[in-house]
Amino acid sequence: MATFHPQLELLTEHAAGSLSVAQSACVAAHLNYCAECRHSVVQLQNIGATLFESADPSPVGDVLLNRVLARLDEEAPLHHSSAADQAGNNATPALLQRLMQGDFSDLPWRKVTDALRITRLQTGDPNYEFALYHIKAGGVIPDHGHRGSEMTLILEGGFSDDRGTYHPGDFTYRRQEDEHAPQALADQDCICLAVLDAPLRFTGWKHRWMNPFLRLHAG
Amino acid sequence: MQVVGERQNVWTAPTGRRTDEWSECLTQIAEHEDRAAFTRLFRHFAPLIKAFALSGSTMSATHADELVQEVMLKVWQKAAAFNPEKAAASTWVYTIARNCRTDMFRRLQKFDTPLAAEDFTPEQDGEEPFAQLQSKRSGERIREMMADLPADQTQILAKVYMEGKSHAEAAAELDLPLGTVKSRVRLAIQKLQVQFERA
Repeated sequence: MATFHPQLELLTEHAAGSLSVAQSACVAAHLNYCAECRHSVVQLQNIGATLFESADPSPVGDVLLNRVLARLDEEAPLHHSSAADQAGNNATPALLQRLMQGDFSDLPWRKVTDALRITRLQTGDPNYEFALYHIKAGGVIPDHGHRGSEMTLILEGGFSDDRGTYHPGDFTYRRQEDEHAPQALADQDCICLAVLDAPLRFTGWKHRWMNPFLRLHAG
Repeated sequence: MQVVGERQNVWTAPTGRRTDEWSECLTQIAEHEDRAAFTRLFRHFAPLIKAFALSGSTMSATHADELVQEVMLKVWQKAAAFNPEKAAASTWVYTIARNCRTDMFRRLQKFDTPLAAEDFTPEQDGEEPFAQLQSKRSGERIREMMADLPADQTQILAKVYMEGKSHAEAAAELDLPLGTVKSRVRLAIQKLQVQFERA
């Protein structure tokens, strides 16, 4: 069970459908692990539904109704198949599996430091980079701040930073002003999903030279 | 805007099963491909879907009509997936409308993504009956309490949900500091007794 959750504001935008594809995918992946936040999102959707059902109706003519009725034959009702086995387990979220099209080991990982490898996944989002980070057991991601924001979701293993220790399903959201140097737990490699709206900016002198190489790769 | 419409939901204790007209229509569609039930549903929901499409006024009337068709066809196709034990019919239709609108906005912006909005909706089939009951009760509570929210909070919720604006966009349009928008949303959500984990 997750102990670090998305902010209410992110859950609300997710429930209202206004979050960007990449950020929404990360929040949705957290929901895969977290029954509490799933429940919150359902309640937040009820707010939208209440506004929806009390909107001032906008007239729709019979022409449109007839057009839809004429198409019903092509669109036979689907039989409902239960997706119960997808909810609430800790396997890699289905949505991520779709983007990865394979296992973690099949992905084209790019080495950034001895401890850190990165692979980018294509969400089509022009504003956010959506990437998986692989941090070696005990490895440290160099001290960095953020030019924009950084959303992280632990998928395997875990890491710790100044705020605590994160395990699979845990979600963090860091803003520009935050600096941290997460370290993977000693006994297991860590794989996490990171969504960035601007490149990482390393602040330690040793790694500052890498900044030009960490350009944003959105899409 | 009228905040809480006439109540169409009738509850029968103790199972709490909804027996309102729109749930019945969905069941008729699922079980008998009932076109008369679909027509009743269309006459009620199509004007709401169109209003939803047009709020924020970035969508043309043609696209709004397209969205109405798309949503109502999905309602027909997916009626068997509706479970009256866990949600009101209007909530179910709303989530379909929201997903179709998000996808349509992305299509119109030539935004090429392998993901569809419905991939992002939490699947509740696996939830315990107790959790389903809680969800349903919270929906009922929210419907009752929305009318009592102060106007400045309802206004922002309408921007966020009906117009699909982010908090930042709502702040810019209403010429308010982002912090004010966030705190009004948070206050409203607390008043509606939505439960959430501290981040």
